[in-house]
Amino acid sequence: MRAVENLSTISYRPPTERQFVWRIVDFVVAGIFIYAGALKMLDPVQFAHDTKNYQILPWTVSVALAFYLPWLEMFCGFGLIFRFFYRGAISILTVLIAVFTLATAAAKVRGLDITCGCFGHASQHWSFPAHLATNLGILAALLALWFSNRLARRM
Amino acid sequence: MKRRILAFILSITVCFGARADLKFDKSEIELHPTPADKQAVGHFTYQNTGKTPVKFKSVKASCGCTAAQTQKDEVKPGEKGEVTATFNIGDRNGTQVKTVTVETDDATNPRTVLTLRTIIPQLLEVSPTFVFWKQGEKPDPKAITVKVGKEFTVNHIKVTSSTQDFQTKVEEAGKGEFKIDVQPKDTNSNLGTTLTIQPEDSPKVFYATARVTGAPPAPMAPADQKAPAGQAAPVAPTDQKAPLGKAAPVGQTH
Amino acid sequence: MKLSLTRQALVLAALSLLPAVGEAIYFRGKISWQSPIPPSEMVSVDQARAWGGNVIWVDARPDAEFARDHVPGAVSLNEDRWNELLPQFLAAWSPGKKVVVYCSTESCDLAREAAERLRKEAQIPEVFVLEGGWEAWLKKNR
Repeated sequence: MRAVENLSTISYRPPTERQFVWRIVDFVVAGIFIYAGALKMLDPVQFAHDTKNYQILPWTVSVALAFYLPWLEMFCGFGLIFRFFYRGAISILTVLIAVFTLATAAAKVRGLDITCGCFGHASQHWSFPAHLATNLGILAALLALWFSNRLARRM
Repeated sequence: MKRRILAFILSITVCFGARADLKFDKSEIELHPTPADKQAVGHFTYQNTGKTPVKFKSVKASCGCTAAQTQKDEVKPGEKGEVTATFNIGDRNGTQVKTVTVETDDATNPRTVLTLRTIIPQLLEVSPTFVFWKQGEKPDPKAITVKVGKEFTVNHIKVTSSTQDFQTKVEEAGKGEFKIDVQPKDTNSNLGTTLTIQPEDSPKVFYATARVTGAPPAPMAPADQKAPAGQAAPVAPTDQKAPLGKAAPVGQTH
Repeated sequence: MKLSLTRQALVLAALSLLPAVGEAIYFRGKISWQSPIPPSEMVSVDQARAWGGNVIWVDARPDAEFARDHVPGAVSLNEDRWNELLPQFLAAWSPGKKVVVYCSTESCDLAREAAERLRKEAQIPEVFVLEGGWEAWLKKNR
């Protein structure tokens, strides 16, 4: 009896309220990264200068990342929205935001004049606490998506 | 295992308890001076929350445009004080970020970097700040655009020329913009003027330069093949601080 | 077939590489991979000297450093007294002259910022930043 019941429920399950909330979070986080990536993609020269100001990486690496990172952010953002390579996208974005946050904190400790964060030169007027709070908020959302996704896979 | 962890935590706590600890309320201050301000001052307050006195070793700013000082050389436990950072705005614009590095004899935290972020408001944006005619060129008027900063309202600007060799005409272009037409009386010789642009009700002054400029003048020094590049500009001797067209009040930006 | 997490990440990383390379090719004239200052805006001491008398040297360092020592014939132009110093630079400039701006070291931003202001605000063409700054000039000349 139980086996027959299970078979009959596999065909279609309408999204639950919880899943709907997670999809909203997907879209918000994806939107942030797509927007941030687009801003940096339009002016990679400025982004390279902003990355150089962290004084962690050599100039050549800063230039390479200035061209590459925006596209990675956008592709992963679209991955979140259209759910292709979803877990891979979340992982990459989580690593990116974690590295960005650590770099921002390190620059702050070293007293560097940095004017960029997630949103490139558009966030140049943001203070350090604002940068940090934004990055941590995005990280929290990504971790929440990660754990919600893992739980959903187990069910 | 649990006992080891507890002992480790306790040992750290004891170490922390015995140290000096100079805590700054804020390590970053953002200032918004008015257009008329010549300086922006940030007050970084601190307190010694430790149990031993803290001595300042040095307080250094990241550039010569910022002066930093403490009120005292030694801070006793529980005592409060402040580090004052004074940033000379000069003729800078936009967002300026300067740091002050504080070094103390506090072993646990010997170095603190304080950040002073100054958002300098741009009352007027003059573009371009330099217009020129070549000698012999037709002395047609050339335009300088003056845009009012978004957060300001300026209904009228006054433009004066430091010499009578140039005429100016100001038109209001609407939407917070003005157009200044500049015209030399002729272009037969090298002429120059400094235009002083002053918005109404504001002591702040902006400048633009207009010149009739000829071909590069011949170098004055006969042994110029020995001299490094740069000496072919005799009109600007290096130790002359006053600009040409000295009648212009160019030193008075406020 | 569902890909593992690692493979998904690798595919995304690889996909992103293609447009990134395309963009790097598109922007190749506007950014130098060797130096933060575009090649079109940087000049070495030797190149500047080859221009002979057609160069105006601009010292972007603070007044005290300029007073201590500077390139002979250089004009002082720093942001502390930009409005006061700019007219004397403009009096020295004429069309066709090349402007070479320098400050303390290659990594110092004063020269780059002064050069940027000359290009954007005064719209002076042919403004360059000296590769290696004041130290490079000293090495070649003293």
